[in-house]
Parts: sequence; structure tokens; C-alpha cells
Amino acid sequence: METDRKIILLADTEQSQQDKLRDFYTSFANQIKDKGLEDAVSLVRASDIGIYGKGFAVKILPRGIVYTGVKESDIGAIIDASVKGQGTVERLLFSEEPKQIRIVLRNCGVIDPESIDEYIACRGYGALKKILSGMNPAGVIEEMKKSGLRGRGGAGYPTWMKWKFTRESQGDRKYVICNADEGDPGAYMDRSVLEGDPHSVIEGLIIAGYAIGAGMGYMYIRAEYPLAVERVKKAIGQAYECGLLGKNILGTDFSFDIDIRLGAGAFVCGEETALIASIEGKRGTPRPRPPYPSVSGLWCKPTAINNVETLANVPYIIMEGGDKFALIGTEKSKGTKVFALTGKVRNSGLVEVPMGITLREIVFDIGGGMLGDKPIKAVQTGGPSGGVIPVDQLDTPVDYENLQKLGSIMGSGGMIVMDESDCIVDIAKFYLGFCVEESCGKCAPCRIGGYQMLNLLNGIAEGSGSLEDLDKLRRVALAMQRASLCALGQTAANPVMSTLRYFEQEYREHIVNRKCRSHKCRSLMTYSIIQDKCKRCRVCVINCPVNAIEGDREKGFFIDVSKCVKCGKCFEVCKFQAIAKE
Amino acid sequence: MLIRAKINGIEVQVEKGTTILEAAGTVQVKIPTLCKHPDLHASAACGICIVKVRGSAKMLRACCTPLEEGMDIITHDPEIISVRRTVLELILSKHPNDCLKCGRNNDCELQKLAADFGIRQESFKNFLSPLPPDDSTGTIVLEPQKCILCGRCVDVCQNMQNVWALSFLERGFETRISPAGDIKLADSPCVRCGQCSNHCPTGAIVEKDDTNRVWAALQDPDKYCVVQIAPAVRVAVGEAFGYPVGTNLTKKLYALLRRLGFKAVFDTNFAADVTIMEEGTEFVERLTKQKGPLPLITTCCPSWVDFMEKFHPDMIEYFSSCKSPQEILGVLAKTYYAEMKGIDPAKIYVVSIMPCTSKKYEIKRCEEMFASGCQDVDVSLTTRELARMIKQAGIDFVNLPDEDPDHILRDYSGAGVIFGATGGVMEAALRTAYFVLNGKNLKKVDFEELRGLNGVKEAEVQIDGKKIRVAIAHGLSNVEYVLNKVREAKKNNLEIPYHFIEVMACAGGCVGGGGQPYGVTDELRKKRAGGLYQDDRDCSVRFSHENPYIKKLYAEYLCKPLGEKSEHLLHTHYKARPVYVK
Amino acid sequence: MAKLTPKDIDSKIAAGLDESGDWIKVGMSTCGMAAGAGEVFSTLQQEAKKRNLEVRIKKCGCQGMCYAEPLVEVHCAGLPDVVYGRVDKETAIKILEKHISAKTLVNDNIYEVRTRRQA
Repeated sequence: METDRKIILLADTEQSQQDKLRDFYTSFANQIKDKGLEDAVSLVRASDIGIYGKGFAVKILPRGIVYTGVKESDIGAIIDASVKGQGTVERLLFSEEPKQIRIVLRNCGVIDPESIDEYIACRGYGALKKILSGMNPAGVIEEMKKSGLRGRGGAGYPTWMKWKFTRESQGDRKYVICNADEGDPGAYMDRSVLEGDPHSVIEGLIIAGYAIGAGMGYMYIRAEYPLAVERVKKAIGQAYECGLLGKNILGTDFSFDIDIRLGAGAFVCGEETALIASIEGKRGTPRPRPPYPSVSGLWCKPTAINNVETLANVPYIIMEGGDKFALIGTEKSKGTKVFALTGKVRNSGLVEVPMGITLREIVFDIGGGMLGDKPIKAVQTGGPSGGVIPVDQLDTPVDYENLQKLGSIMGSGGMIVMDESDCIVDIAKFYLGFCVEESCGKCAPCRIGGYQMLNLLNGIAEGSGSLEDLDKLRRVALAMQRASLCALGQTAANPVMSTLRYFEQEYREHIVNRKCRSHKCRSLMTYSIIQDKCKRCRVCVINCPVNAIEGDREKGFFIDVSKCVKCGKCFEVCKFQAIAKE
Repeated sequence: MLIRAKINGIEVQVEKGTTILEAAGTVQVKIPTLCKHPDLHASAACGICIVKVRGSAKMLRACCTPLEEGMDIITHDPEIISVRRTVLELILSKHPNDCLKCGRNNDCELQKLAADFGIRQESFKNFLSPLPPDDSTGTIVLEPQKCILCGRCVDVCQNMQNVWALSFLERGFETRISPAGDIKLADSPCVRCGQCSNHCPTGAIVEKDDTNRVWAALQDPDKYCVVQIAPAVRVAVGEAFGYPVGTNLTKKLYALLRRLGFKAVFDTNFAADVTIMEEGTEFVERLTKQKGPLPLITTCCPSWVDFMEKFHPDMIEYFSSCKSPQEILGVLAKTYYAEMKGIDPAKIYVVSIMPCTSKKYEIKRCEEMFASGCQDVDVSLTTRELARMIKQAGIDFVNLPDEDPDHILRDYSGAGVIFGATGGVMEAALRTAYFVLNGKNLKKVDFEELRGLNGVKEAEVQIDGKKIRVAIAHGLSNVEYVLNKVREAKKNNLEIPYHFIEVMACAGGCVGGGGQPYGVTDELRKKRAGGLYQDDRDCSVRFSHENPYIKKLYAEYLCKPLGEKSEHLLHTHYKARPVYVK
Repeated sequence: MAKLTPKDIDSKIAAGLDESGDWIKVGMSTCGMAAGAGEVFSTLQQEAKKRNLEVRIKKCGCQGMCYAEPLVEVHCAGLPDVVYGRVDKETAIKILEKHISAKTLVNDNIYEVRTRRQA
């Protein structure tokens, strides 16, 4: 029978020896054949078995034994011990607890997001049933308090407190809003949850509504997420049909409605007061707080605004209990966090990890290490409001407080890995440019400060900066941090400040030496012809758009630096690597 | 409820809800701000008013943060001052440096702050957007380049005045103020009230300067220049010369205007008395002889007329056909006075000094403004322009002797002078209506209930056994309440809620007009109005119908109110106008 | 769909996810769709029909391994659950022919092998 056959998976946990995996496979297959086991096992090459940087790995099913660092010379021993027999080869044995814990993403990739039945089959709406058949709102808030869940939108405000304040505020109507205006570059955790498990967010929103005493909830989803909008719409429709939304939910007195509002693409509308203004049909600009939305929010009524990931945690907490949730994480940051891991990392994607895990674990153990095995330079977290964390801080446990101490923030969960080919000034420019583009323009420090800082950075990247500019950057950054009205402006300078904090030397190189070590800043590059390598084919001469390459076949060719616009065309077209780029 | 807190270590006790900015005033600290205006909500846009709570690095906006129990506020320390300076420098980096050529030179909040902070150099590159000025209304000039986006004008236009001509366009660094859709102000709903110019901290919105036209006319030997001064001008112009607010300078103004070269100096107060004769009679006729629908609504205010024609054309039938005092004086100068003096009306050049930018529009509003055969008022100046002319002429206004009037078109009753304050027209009209209905004069002349700064004032007055219900609204956002009551009653065939309604576009009436000196607050409005009411009390004649020169005018020239000549010279018509021209 | 009662919820939860028979799940979130999951999904449907295979082709959301999209999870009696990554049309057909029909795993596209989830 098929089931009696053992399955042996072979994988390369490095990235560099994919070709050699085939040889390894052949050797393995030959030895199995030699030992007459070819009918007893099936041997398969896997691309990835979730282990990285440990040479060849062998996984034997159904026992699930994993060997790593396997050399060709080990094959025989493995076959003898674990294929023929029931033993193990101790010295090669690999065992590790899984690094990821799935709470928010518990159903993502498991259920059909368009099927409410599958959601319910995975304990969905069990939490709603639980609260409606015996928990009062105060009890729900108490459970949330036990869980220690903090807002996953970025600021990390305790969710139970937000709910409690909103519940205690006076108002004939109250609202809950799900903030799904995810906008950080490179972050898409919320999108995946909405697309993969919309009901968990809807259930969380209904529970929030019950806890604070709201009868209406809005889901504010950015219009650039059409698939998420479609799935949420469908899910809301199903919930209405099943009597999980609308009047007298599950036959109780509790009634709750949800409507969708689309965000028109302004990053600042993720800020809660701007989001409220946007739902109200006004210009999406923040307003001063206090009053906080929990006192006076949508239509001036008490309003609780929670992020998608926060709400997706709620049904789990109610079902499993706050205490169980609080077992995960660190003292002040409970539960898990979903990160969108991108950049120069081998496995870019979504990871859900317990709070307190280190960046190194995320990048190397889950992310599979650096792309092309280049040395890691830094990890950027918190998107345009965050900062870069240099390589010597990679062992810091990730939680709200630690990231802030390092000059970054948890943010909504973007995590971008950088290697030595990333220029620090260029990175600062990118994030600041994003904030300048997305500033609503209401308050002067953010509107003008960001623009002026970007102008200074451009100068530095173009080689016209001065050391005085670094002081100016710091001065404007302080003004933006202290005097901007909302978090967008207050944090817009963070990417610049954190790069200045850890990589000031690289800024100075741009300014003093007019050099960009990562060869990213075009204006600082010089191209020259390496005479030894030049075959005088004239291809570069023909391709140069500004006729900056002079000379003839006898004397050789030279690049006239005064004419060169540093477009890199010569470098690209030279077949003999005879163009030097510095 | 009282709050106890500390500001700069000094104990303060203030009402709950008092902002830090207001509370600081009680300990003699004036926290600088460029966006907060006492009339308006805190927009929190400029970021200058930041303060600290002791022990925290965060900075709060004093303008919009309420003082809380036990707070320990620091309003200035080296870091606060430095952040304020940086923010100010950032604002200046997007503002032209041409103070010498600016309409607000020497009277500009930004310029003053730059001087106070000792800004001596440009730390940041100056970025100016090429935004052209808009002088299309002929009354106010919009110079968006000078705008610092404090938001006052937008708040004034949208919330105080409910006009919605101005709004923010674009976002981020490109944010600017403009009529929606980037149309010209003249094609927008703008009613030219000039409140935006009055609240603007910089020279981004200023009155259109017509002083050169007046100088040219005064120099022209073929022109016989005469001038009139509106009620509210006399109690405000002194502010530009260091007089206490509300000082009545009528007699100095007579002397001054003669010295500027005007051949005759008239007083708009006289024309106000004529207005009362006409409008009062119109009211009595509608009340007793049903010669038109009630309520009767006053029409002295051209911005109100424009607003009604654009937004409330269904109210036209209730409008008094009587012209405003400015126009009445203009037409009488070119007919009655011209005949009496034997001067060719075409040579008479009528200049009016008004507290108002909209009066520049009124002088050409429709064909009835040319009732004398030529334009009845040739040029209308604001109080601010007059102050400049005085300074240009080098006249020592403060030490100028008082001069007496020369009677014709000048002597006024106490009823005429109170036109400049909200409720004044109503009070003056009721004094005369009482006489017309009753045949005798009121014993108690003062209608205290019609005075003061409540946005809507409603009162019931007994005349000849009849209950006359009146309403007074000032500040255009207060109009809708009153008009809707009229509409409701009409729709449901109920008794009319009011017999007589007075509307002034500007808060406080003309004393708070858009052409008045800068820095208006309710306190100033009260003091200016106080000056007018004092003048009323000091007048030997308190009733328009008892002004001997009014009697003379009707006896010698007009015959009777609403007579044929009056109808021709002193009345006008209204028509619905589109809110947007294109 | 009729309105649910609390009891319905309980019984549905007790019943759990229907994982009977052979099935294939395709990650159909934006990351998957962008990598070509739509084509993979329709190929699987068409080719399974052509081959008269009794296998349910289902949709699911993002599993997190966005770098390896399109992801296809295969549940086949007698074999562990396998997640194949970077699946294209050809691999999709291979999955049907080898994994579902011949009950052997497909080389080079395996990204995860799961011990059976408890139903």
C-alpha cells in the first residue's frame, strides 16, 4: 500500500547550491537502490522545508525526523538508521520549535474566504455566540484586559482601555470603526487578513460593538484593495443572511449593522481623526485631540477605532480566554504580531510571530536569510513612521517599547530587510518622500518641514550637501516631532533621524567625500574606462547619449567627466567589464 | 467647574474647558500663534503655540488643548523657543520676502512674529509656488502665494459666514486656498464681506486698494470731490492711530476730510435717517395696508443682499426695496445737493468711507445705483484705506482740532448713528415706526433687547396695542435659522414668526465689518458699538423723523417717503443670481 | 441561508471543517492572483474534469509564503498534505497526474509538508 511507503524529502537549506541538490538526490537514490529499498520509499526534492542555512536537509515521513548538514558521506548512515530501521543519527538530528504562531492568520490559507460555513467550522462566530449567551459588555472588556492586547495599527494603545473609555462616554449613539486603510509602503498584513479571513474581522467588529454599546460599525477600507473589498462585502452579506448582523443577532436583543466606506488613497486617512473626517465626507485632515474619538468621534459620537489585525485577534481571545492569549509575548506586549517581511530577504511574505522574538530569528530562521547571502545592513520597521535598526541590534526582542528605544516603532507591521547595496541616504529619501507626498498639508511643521528636509537630503545625495545640513536636518526633525499635529508629521522624520543615529558616517561620506558606498546615488558616481580591459570596440562611444566618451582606437578611449551625466549606459553595454563605476 | 493647575509654576484656577492658551493669559503670558483667532475654532495648523507639560518631552498645542486638573505647564524654555523659531523659519521659507510691497506691511502677524523671534537669515531655501493673485471681485484681492494656510479665512468663510467660497485645494506642500474648482473668486459664491481679509494674519487676502483713484480725483480740477463717512468708521479708525477702541472721532474726521481736499463732507448717518424714513414707512405700509408681504427684511448690507440673491432667492419678496445709506447719500449728493449748489452732477465725485469691502461691489450692483444719471457713488474706501490716506498725507490725526459739520446731508439723529451696530437698523426703524403708527414718540427710546452680540436676537415690541415680533441676525451663518422659521410658517400656513428682520453679514454688524482695522474680537466689537450707542445718547435728536434736515429734505425735494421721487432715487430691486457663475 | 441559532453554531463548530476526500486548495489572495493563481485554479478545474478525477478544487487566502506564490495545497488520501509553491500550468497538471493520480510527490516545487491536521 502507498501509505506504507516512507517519503524522504531532500532540500537545500542554503541558496547557493541548488544545482548540487540534484547530485545529492542522485547519490541518495543510488544508495537506496543499492540497498534494495526503492520500492519501500519515495524520494522527493523539496524547494523549501522551512529550515535555512544548514546545508542539505533530509526529512523522513511519516516519522517526521529531520536531519540537517547532511553530507554525501552521511547518506548511508541515515538510510540504515531511519529508513531501514527505526533509529536516528543523533549527530545530524535537527529539532526546533516552530517560530511562528498563528492567531491572526489562523484561518488564512486554510478556509475558503468566501464561505461562512468554513469560517464557522473553524470555530468562527463561536466567540460571538459565547458573548451573546452569557457575557456582559463589561465581561468582554475584562477578558480583553486579561489578554493585554494592544492596538496593532501602530501606536499600541491597550484595546480594552479604548473600549472602556468609549463604553463610558455619554452618547445616544456610538460607533465602531475598523481601520483598514493600510498604507505603509511594503505592508499588506491587513489586506491578507481581509482577503483570506474576512469573517474574523467582522466578528471582531461585532464584538467590539457589543462591548462599547454601538449599534453601527464601519469598515474603512482603502479602495486600492478591490479584492479585499469584494470579499468583505460578500462576507457582510453572508453574516446578514445568517442573522449574525442586523436586528436581534442570534435571537438576542443585540442589533448591529456594518457598512463599508472606501478610502480614496490618502495615507493620512489612516490617522483616526482624519479617517473620521473622511467618513463624514469632509476633507481628510486630522483635527486636534482632545477630544479623543472615544469621547467625540464619528458624527461627534463616542467612537472606537480598531485596526484589522487587532479585531482579528478578538474572536480568538474571547474563545480561548484572555489568559491563554497573554501567555504569548513579552511582559508589556502580548500575543503575536504579523509582519510583512520584504526587501533583501529570501522569503518575503507574511509572518506571524510571538512578541519578543528577535529580528534575527525573523530574518534568518523564518525569512530564510539574506537574498544572495549578502551581509545584512539593517532592518526597517514601522514603515514611513519607523526607522532602521542596524545589524548590531538584531538580537533585540521585538516589542513596542524596544523598537521605540531603538528609534523605530512597531508600526503596522512592515519589515524591510536591507543589505549593503542599500544606500542609507537613499532609504531616508524614500521614506521621507513618501511622507511629503502624503502630508495632508494642514499643519506647517509637517507640510513645510518634510519638504525642506527632503530638499536637504536631495542635496546630500547629489553631492551638494554640507555638514551644516546635518544640523539643519536634526533641527527640522525636532520641530516636526514636537510641533506636528498628528502622528504622520510627528513621525515623518523618524527614518531620517534613525539613519542619522546609526549611519551618520555614511551621510558624511556623501557630504565630505562625495561618495555613495552603495552606488545608489547617481550624482556621486564616477565612470571611467579601465584601459587594460578595454578592447576599443567603441560600443560605449556609440551608446553614450551625451558624447562624453572621447578618444580613438589608437590612443584609447576616455570618459570626459564634465560631460558625463552618469546614466550608466556605458557600464551596461560594455561586454568586457571595462567600465569602472565608483 | 474650576480646574486648578500650574502655568510656569504659578497656580491658576480656570473654568473647565479653558485652553492652555487662554489660561496662560491669566498669568500674563501671551503664547504666540499664527492660526488661532478668538473668533474661530482652533485649527491647530501653525504649530507655533506649542508648550510642554513638566517632565514630558512632548509638546502640546496651547490653542486647542484644554487645561486639565493638576497640569504643570511650561510655556517657554530654550527648547520650546527653538522649536517655535524653526517652525516660523519653515513658514517663512514658503512665503515671499517682499514685505515692503505688501498690503499688510507693518500690520502683519507673521512679520511681527519674525521680528519678535529675531529672524535674521534664511536658513532654508525659499520655495514659492507660482500662484497668481485673484482680484476678480474688485473688492478683495487673494494672494495665495502669501498664504500660510492657517485656515482662518476658510473657517470664516465656511463656518462664520456659511458662504463656502474658499476652501483648501490640493494637499501636502501644494495645499492652497482657492474657490473650489479653481475658479475666480468673482465666479464663486463669494459675497465680498471681506471677513477673510479681516481675519487673515498676513497679506494673503487684502482689500482692493482704491486710494490712488481718490488721490487722482482730488487732484482733478474738473472734479468736485465730496465724501461721506459711514457710522461704524468713526469708532474704529482711531485704532490705527493709538486711540482707545471705540473712541468716536466724528468731528476730527470732518476736519480731516476737509484737509484732505474734499469740497464737502457728508455723513452717511444722515442717509441712514433717510433709510429709516423710507424703510420704516415701507414696514408700516406692509403691516397696516398689506402693501407687500411680511416679514420685511432689511437690505442695508450688500453682502447680505448678495448672499440672499445667491442662496435664498425665495426671500426676495420680503426684502425692503430701500437702498443702503451709502447709495442714498450718493444719489442725493448728485441730485439734491447738486441742484441746491448749482453744480453739474457729472462733476461731482462721491467718495465713501465704509467699514466694508462689499460696498465697493455695491456701487455698481445694478442699474439703480446710477439713479442720478451717473454712478451715484464713484469710489468706496474701507476704514483701512482711509487710515493709510491719512498717513500718506502726513496729517497728525491725533492732534487735529474738532470741526463742526456744515449741516446739509450731514446732521444726523441718534437713530442714524446706531446703524453701525447689529440691531441698530431695527432699533432706529422701530423708533420711527412707533411714531408713524402711534402719532407720538416713544418715551423709552433704547431697545436694549435688540443690542449685543448674540448671533440671533428675537424680541417682541408693543406698538399701538400690536405685538411686533422682530429678529436680528448677524454673521451669515446665523441667517438660516431665522429664514427657516419664516419658511416653515409659510409652508404650514402658520402665523408669521416675525414682522421685521434685520440682517448684517458681519458679526457685530458694521462695527465688525470686513474693511475695519485688523484684530477684531467680540471685545472690540462691543467697544466700537459702545461708541455708537454713546453717540446716540449724546444726540439731541434720537428719531430719524425728527431730524430737521430730514424734514427739510422731504419738504424741499422728496415730498414724502415712498413718493414718486423717492421710489425713483432711493429704491432698488433684487434678482436671483447663480451661486457659481460658470 | 436561514438565520442561525446559537445551537447551529455549536453543531457546525463541532462538525469542523469538511476535509473529506481529495482536495486541492489554491491561494487566491492578491499575492497569489498577481503570481498567476487564477490560471492555476482554472487549469486544475479543467484538467481534473478532463481526467475524471474526484478532487475538490478550492480557494483559500494567503498562507504567508508570498515569495512562493502561487501556492497549491494538496490533500490526498495516503499522502501527507503538501504545499507546492511557484506553481504554473505545467506543475498544476503534474500535481494532478503524479500527486493525485499516481500518489507520488512532485519534485522541486514542495514548500511545506504537513503532518495531517486534526479534523
